[in-house]
Amino acid sequence: MIRRIAELLIKEFLQLKRDRSARLRLLIPPIIQMLLFGYAATFEVFNVSTAVLDQDHTQASRSLTAAFAASGRFKLTVPAATRGEVRDAIEKGDAEVGIVVPPGFAELLEKGQSSPIQVLADGSNSNTALIALGYVGQIAGSFGQNYALELAQRTGRALGRPMVNVTMAERYWYNPNLNSRWFFVPGVIGTLTLITIVNLTAFAIVREREVGTLEQILVTPIRPIEFIIGKTLPFFLIGLFEVAIVAAVGMLWFDVPFVGDPLLLFAGTCLFLMSVLAIGLLISTVCMTQQQAFASNFFVLNPMFILSGFSFPISSMPPVLQWFTYLDPLRYFLVIIRSCFLKGVGIAVLWPQMAALAALSASLLAIAVLRFRKSLD
Amino acid sequence: MKLRRIKAIAVKETLQIVRDPRSLMIALLIPVLQMFMLGYGISLDIERIPVCAMDREGSQQSQDLLKRFSASRYFSVQKLVSNDGELAHAIDDGSCRLGIVVPAGFSQALNDTGRGTVQAVIDGTDSNTANLAANYARAVVSGYSSALQLRSVERRGGHLQTQTPVAVEARVWFNEDLVSRNYIIPGIVALVMAIVGAQLTSLTIAREWERGTMELLVSTPVKPLELMLGKLAPYFLVGMADAGICLALAVFWFEVPFRGALTTLLFTTSLFLTVVLCIGYTVSVAIRSQVGASQVALILTMLPTTLLSGFAFPIEQMPWPVRGVTYLVSARYYVTILKAVFLKGAGVSELALPILCLAAYAAVLVLAAARAFRKTLD
Amino acid sequence: MATDAAPQIVVDGLVKRFGDFIAVDEVSFEVGRGEIMGFLGPNGAGKSTLIRILCGLLTPSAGRALVAGIDVADDPDGVRRRIGYMSQKFSLYDDLSVIENLRFFGGIYGVPRERLGERLDYVVEMAGLAGRESSLVATLAGGWKQRLALGAAILHQPAILFLDEPTSGVDPASRRRFWDLIHDLGAEGVSILVSTHYMDEAEYCNRIALVNRGRLIALGTPQELKRRALGAGPLDAATGRPIEPSMEDSFVALVGRSLEEAR
Repeated sequence: MIRRIAELLIKEFLQLKRDRSARLRLLIPPIIQMLLFGYAATFEVFNVSTAVLDQDHTQASRSLTAAFAASGRFKLTVPAATRGEVRDAIEKGDAEVGIVVPPGFAELLEKGQSSPIQVLADGSNSNTALIALGYVGQIAGSFGQNYALELAQRTGRALGRPMVNVTMAERYWYNPNLNSRWFFVPGVIGTLTLITIVNLTAFAIVREREVGTLEQILVTPIRPIEFIIGKTLPFFLIGLFEVAIVAAVGMLWFDVPFVGDPLLLFAGTCLFLMSVLAIGLLISTVCMTQQQAFASNFFVLNPMFILSGFSFPISSMPPVLQWFTYLDPLRYFLVIIRSCFLKGVGIAVLWPQMAALAALSASLLAIAVLRFRKSLD
Repeated sequence: MKLRRIKAIAVKETLQIVRDPRSLMIALLIPVLQMFMLGYGISLDIERIPVCAMDREGSQQSQDLLKRFSASRYFSVQKLVSNDGELAHAIDDGSCRLGIVVPAGFSQALNDTGRGTVQAVIDGTDSNTANLAANYARAVVSGYSSALQLRSVERRGGHLQTQTPVAVEARVWFNEDLVSRNYIIPGIVALVMAIVGAQLTSLTIAREWERGTMELLVSTPVKPLELMLGKLAPYFLVGMADAGICLALAVFWFEVPFRGALTTLLFTTSLFLTVVLCIGYTVSVAIRSQVGASQVALILTMLPTTLLSGFAFPIEQMPWPVRGVTYLVSARYYVTILKAVFLKGAGVSELALPILCLAAYAAVLVLAAARAFRKTLD
Repeated sequence: MATDAAPQIVVDGLVKRFGDFIAVDEVSFEVGRGEIMGFLGPNGAGKSTLIRILCGLLTPSAGRALVAGIDVADDPDGVRRRIGYMSQKFSLYDDLSVIENLRFFGGIYGVPRERLGERLDYVVEMAGLAGRESSLVATLAGGWKQRLALGAAILHQPAILFLDEPTSGVDPASRRRFWDLIHDLGAEGVSILVSTHYMDEAEYCNRIALVNRGRLIALGTPQELKRRALGAGPLDAATGRPIEPSMEDSFVALVGRSLEEAR
């Protein structure tokens, strides 16, 4: 039995060795993906294009606009002379935010009253708009506080007891600089492995079915289970290899730290790969042609990817979808790999994920093997 | 170029599509599934962030503060911890993303110096959520702070010193409730179309090579351009059907406001569809194995569209080299167009630039795809 | 067999190299109108490669090939308009019906619309598939597919036909029937170049070219070749007349001789 499996393994690797473009496809996409995700996928907000209309022309108003510019969050690209111009800028898309300081701004401030400014935001990019408005609030707020304090000192108005002020001091754990690459790179490893390996596995078997060599193999003394192992083992090894390579690139190029236990990651990867292979196998049992395999792959992989918490947090999804994510092996693997890279926690913390992966792998494999046996008759 | 040959190929391709109902069904179902999955799964509105609270003081003030966190829709207070170890554990195992710590002596300090500091420990793994969580938390704390100020001023009987010297009156355009769904769904339509479009055609040529029918086809007088037009025609119809489904879902199910003109939508959609169909076709020509073609097609469309089209991650925020690359991503133009047509009611004149870019893209691709197909075996 | 018109296929010193491997090695021959030329040789001899070059599917490394007076290297599309090709795998669309396949090729080859109906009927009749026009090709047995593939190749009544191992994997009765069709076509003036590795089929051709390892070892009528190979042959004890050697024996002898000459 071992011998027959070994023969299958050899055949698969020979085919892979001769297929140069297949090798490239294994190496290039991960690298590109990491580069793209590392640099493109960011939700941080800096240098938002802003239109500014200062109708007050006082020192106070100028200090305020200067504060916005100095924050690094806003780039005052459109100096407007009328409200109409501010509106136009936003409509045309030249500015995402418009700030209007109305006449009388400084006067009201001097009197110690609430002095309004108007802010217009382009909501078609709601994420940026939300964050930008947050920053507007913060900058305006601290400008106001400072002004009030300085006003109080100047006018010598006794404050009596000091002004109450509660602030928040935050500390970020695991990723002190909130480097989004540290977040995405481990995620890319998991996602890529999922997509690549499912693809390879499903296609490999369906291809043999379509071309007719599957029949050929099955008339030999080989048993279905041996065939399955022989077919999936190469991809298992390839998957491990892929994870290792991409992790290495992540660590060396993007300086993502690895503070966890490599063995734990290895164990988690193995479990994950098993469920991934099972999925590929399952797909191959329902597809007669490679065209169908491709469509099915996509059908299955895209939801797995979206619902895994890769870039959109699971806790923000509607509860129904959250229930679905429990069936997604990628979800667990992402937790494991991110924890291994950034958190450095051990099995004591990660055992639920590992257990879940193990359970998923086992059931998926069982179903896949049973279906496969049936599909051969 | 003979119309007759194009028609013959189109008829054949249509028959083959219709005879493979499984693939056809999947081709029509996938967009629906994607729209639901992505429409509900992708949410940039971060809400119900799991929080744990450590109240070292247990005073009225600290309770007030923590109650505000419970009341906020951005947070969901999961548990109360009593020591550092428990806090660390909660963040470690991911059950909480943020820990709020009210230190001992908090209210005392407030009474004496008027200054109080609350500590927030935030899981930085997911940098975006961490950032937003910190912002929201700060907002809650400053709301608490303002309330305290108000009370303290009133207690002094003093005249109402404003606590917000500079008051921000904000108005949001086009997406008044800042519902991220309105912003994301048009982008999702683009994403789905990009992927489905390329997927439809990416196997068409490779499949004929693998089955051996291509060899006969190239021995006939059919020209590469004729072959391409004939093959793409039925897929164009399927693609438009898909687009129709997605757009209908966007408007009627997800209730994204639609302020533009239907004709603009149809016109720009067919342009974009042409582009992605050609991309898939070119992949199919270049890679003669179906496995390879499918992988490459997926990579070429799913990734750039997700990341670089501006549908979720704003292009303006990317470093400039990456921003340059986005100009090459056809989906970028379509996303811009869709968002503008839906939310701003933009017409062809306002969108002249992206439309032109898309048209240029389509023209280049059609020519490239036609020429890439060589009628020799070597 | 009419040889009055100019030869339809002219091959002159044709060479095709794949890297270091020489698939076609200085082959020269001509095929006239209505002539059935058989290419005989073992697998890997270069027959398919040669046919593909003549169809414009491969470019020659050296030498010249004219099909219907057109140089294949200069104007492959011009060549394709005038020829019919049947590939080794028959290359029909399995998921299309008989008539749908035929209509497709009719459209591709530009069979004039007025004539299409009668051509379709003719081909269906010829293939023996009358009444089964709506059957999917996948359901047809080998012999029917073979005749259908031939029919698809002649819809547009080309002057020249290239058939690459058209009888592989087909039962003997179907093979006979197929060759009858070929003869009918030859009688109508179509020049036909057939490749095969069935030695007995060689007898059906007007002339045979023996190929081995890319080289043309012998060219002539079946009779000529046998005589060249084995002389008059042994005498039959009963009749006293010479027993005609089989094509196979002749081939073996000729090949052996050519290998010796090469050494």
